[in-house]
Amino acid sequence: MDKLVIEATRSSPALEFDAETCRLSIKGESYPENAAAFYTPVFAWLKEFLADLASGAAVQVDLEILYLNSSSTKVMLNFLDLLEHAAQSGVLVTINWRYDPDNEAILECGQDFSEELKTVMFNLVEQTEDLS
Amino acid sequence: MKDFDLVRLRDDLSKRGILMVFSGPFSHCIVEEFGNAVRHYLENARLSRAAMMDVFAVYVEQAQNVGNYLRRWESEPHGARIINSGIVIIARDDEHYVISSGNLLAPQDVGPLTAQLEQLRTLDKMGLKALHKEKLRQPLTEWGSGGLGLIQMARKATAPLQYTLTAVDEWVFFTLRVVI
Repeated sequence: MDKLVIEATRSSPALEFDAETCRLSIKGESYPENAAAFYTPVFAWLKEFLADLASGAAVQVDLEILYLNSSSTKVMLNFLDLLEHAAQSGVLVTINWRYDPDNEAILECGQDFSEELKTVMFNLVEQTEDLS
Repeated sequence: MKDFDLVRLRDDLSKRGILMVFSGPFSHCIVEEFGNAVRHYLENARLSRAAMMDVFAVYVEQAQNVGNYLRRWESEPHGARIINSGIVIIARDDEHYVISSGNLLAPQDVGPLTAQLEQLRTLDKMGLKALHKEKLRQPLTEWGSGGLGLIQMARKATAPLQYTLTAVDEWVFFTLRVVI
């Protein structure tokens, strides 16, 4: 399965989904004009990827979101729900919600999502200054 | 030819604490560019990152609400007046930032919107969180997040959302004011 790579724009995040390493990452801001349209190829890729996974496979999802508008919040929950379903059928899903401690809204958003999920491992990870 | 007294207009904006204003057709490009300008302005004003992102988030929801509503009228024969009626303002009021927006509404759209706003005005932080949780699971509509944006604004606001309605010919001019 081909990698899914989408470059960031001012109002949409960078995505890098790699089926080989089972690592998915979304990084940046999301307030596109049409959130449903922007994420359609992302959902198509994710559904195909999850359908091919064996029970017991491990998937790591890194989410480093700086801003989500209300439409993107709904889409993100749908995205997390797909991962939750996979986890319920035996895939080991780890989601790292990476937040800047100065950006309280994103921490709160991560907390809202964590309340909606039961089976995935959902970690709120404080990002310290990247000095590299 | 009509002349504009820009000196007086600028002075009036300044006296009212208005820092930035956009009025005209709301394209997505404008939402991005004006939003970027708002962030630069607030960064230069040494606002904390948390407060800056709250102002920015409320601005995006308001600008996208206005833009999404006005776009509905693009194919309507008498839509031109409504399409160009949008305005968004960022203002300073003592210790607070105020984000306001306005646009013309068709009379039949006033009731459902004010019902939502009246409900939000009665809720405290816990009530807003519970309503947010409920609406989060409702599907996206063709025109946006189906009221989730208003709840998110109310959760960030330091005072209940305020709105006004003013009759303008066969339309209603709606304004929303959010204090951060």
